Amino acid sequence: MAVDDTLILPSFFQVLEALEQSWQTIVTDDLPISLLHFALGMGAGLLVALPVGMSMGWFRVVDRMIDPIVEIIRPIPPLAWIPFAIVWFGLTNEAAGFIVFIGAVFPILINTYVGFRSLPKVYVESAKVLGATRDADLIRYIAFPFALPSIAGGIRIAMGIAWMCLVAAEMFGVSTSGLGYKIWSYYYLHKMDYVLLYMIVLGLLGLLIDRSFRYVVEERMLKWRVGLTQ
Amino acid sequence: MKKLIFIALLAAVVLLSLGCISSEKKSENVTTLRIGYQPSTHQIAEMVAAEKGWWAEDLKPFGVTEIKEFEFPSGPPEMQAMLAGDLDIAYVGTAPPISAIAQGLDAKIVAAVNINGSDLVFKPDVAYSGPQSLIGKSIGTFPPGSIQDTVMKKWLQDNDVPVSEVKILPMGPGDAVTAITAGKVDGVFLPHPSPAIIEQEGKGESVVASGEMWPNHACCSLVVSGRLIRDNPELVEQIIKTHIKATEYVNSHPDEAAQIYSAKTGQDLNMVEHSVETWDGMWVSDPELQIPSTVEYARIDYEMNYTQRELTEDDLFDTSFYKRVILG
Repeated sequence: MAVDDTLILPSFFQVLEALEQSWQTIVTDDLPISLLHFALGMGAGLLVALPVGMSMGWFRVVDRMIDPIVEIIRPIPPLAWIPFAIVWFGLTNEAAGFIVFIGAVFPILINTYVGFRSLPKVYVESAKVLGATRDADLIRYIAFPFALPSIAGGIRIAMGIAWMCLVAAEMFGVSTSGLGYKIWSYYYLHKMDYVLLYMIVLGLLGLLIDRSFRYVVEERMLKWRVGLTQ
Repeated sequence: MKKLIFIALLAAVVLLSLGCISSEKKSENVTTLRIGYQPSTHQIAEMVAAEKGWWAEDLKPFGVTEIKEFEFPSGPPEMQAMLAGDLDIAYVGTAPPISAIAQGLDAKIVAAVNINGSDLVFKPDVAYSGPQSLIGKSIGTFPPGSIQDTVMKKWLQDNDVPVSEVKILPMGPGDAVTAITAGKVDGVFLPHPSPAIIEQEGKGESVVASGEMWPNHACCSLVVSGRLIRDNPELVEQIIKTHIKATEYVNSHPDEAAQIYSAKTGQDLNMVEHSVETWDGMWVSDPELQIPSTVEYARIDYEMNYTQRELTEDDLFDTSFYKRVILG
């Protein structure tokens, strides 16, 4: 082995020392930039995936038209989109957000679609008997609430993938700070204690946001489900 | 249950505190030589030696029966592989070994590969009239700690251009070429053949060569693992001899070298020939040529807090093999 042990796995205390050295930078520089990239990607993902997924789930003709396109684009790794992100958006935060968007959009779209497609026919028929005959009413009062648990699951998966994409999104010159950028930057300097520190921060941030989301969605919006499976 | 979780956490903390246990490998004969390189015209010597079968032929008397080449997109992952003990020798830019050796890599630079060889390329519609032209411009280049980043920042400082007034964007070569081709940056500072690719596409023009910024600065070098140096010094000498032979061949047959490079990497031959004709770099093998600038890189790295200690010539170089080879 051409290496001392630190480079294989930095110790707990080395990571703590790295934290002591850089916590201010993490808080003031890196977290805001990464949260911006994350928010841009997730926001765009929600804006695109929800209406498209709902339309595909509700209207068969839309499903037949869009499904092949989705299935062609879906397997393409977000990394492969970096050249287009540069060409379309330049070296901007939007370009990083686009890479995060590519990772986040499909889980939300697929789960929204599945949530709508699994709506029992009897619910729709009952709603029609009660006077909700327009598509807009049926979607708003029946299909969407029914699909919400599935959509929430999709958003949770998407957030996880979005954090994964963040590292790729910050490696092509869009910024000189950010959790993903710093992982690359310190890796280039072989400072593995800092690499591990930023990985841990990324993981903890993901956990924090996931828990906050679950609290809002499961404890508030999906409170009616308590008693069914919980 | 809580007790179990506590014990598991404690065990994890102890394990992490200890770090991993490294084992010293016993001295052993090398039968497979693992070579790292990058698809750059700077490192054509490695490719010529490989394609002509010189590695296999010259090292066979030393018990080497297999040559394994590993291609890397840039220096840091190559050094990471060497840190992990997966490479015996590496053709690599001089900067990545500095940070790797500072972090514990057991290896030395034993020969030079090339000096100079990078260009500052501006978009066709951006005027260049000297270092001051860079103020307010966006320039894509390799990340901090790289040769390009260090050379350009030193050049700016030497010419009284505040580095903070130039928007230096860290990125890889592919992304930088894409960025200037799409007109998303004003310029890029990259090693060859990237400047030639941009020029051939008509998307930019080389305005300053790195040799003008910092004459005869070190670029790529030949790094050999400490294990090989200690256990197989005769083999290291032969590796250097083969490297010198390949370097001399590249210098005397640049067209054939370009063909070998083109065939190996799949890059357009015309573009490679254009790169070889127009670059300001030189393929060399004498490590003494690289010592002053490499030690300066190490000093800058330490000043910038990229390394925790300032590496010296002795930390980075072992020129004894080259001297023995030259003295016969």
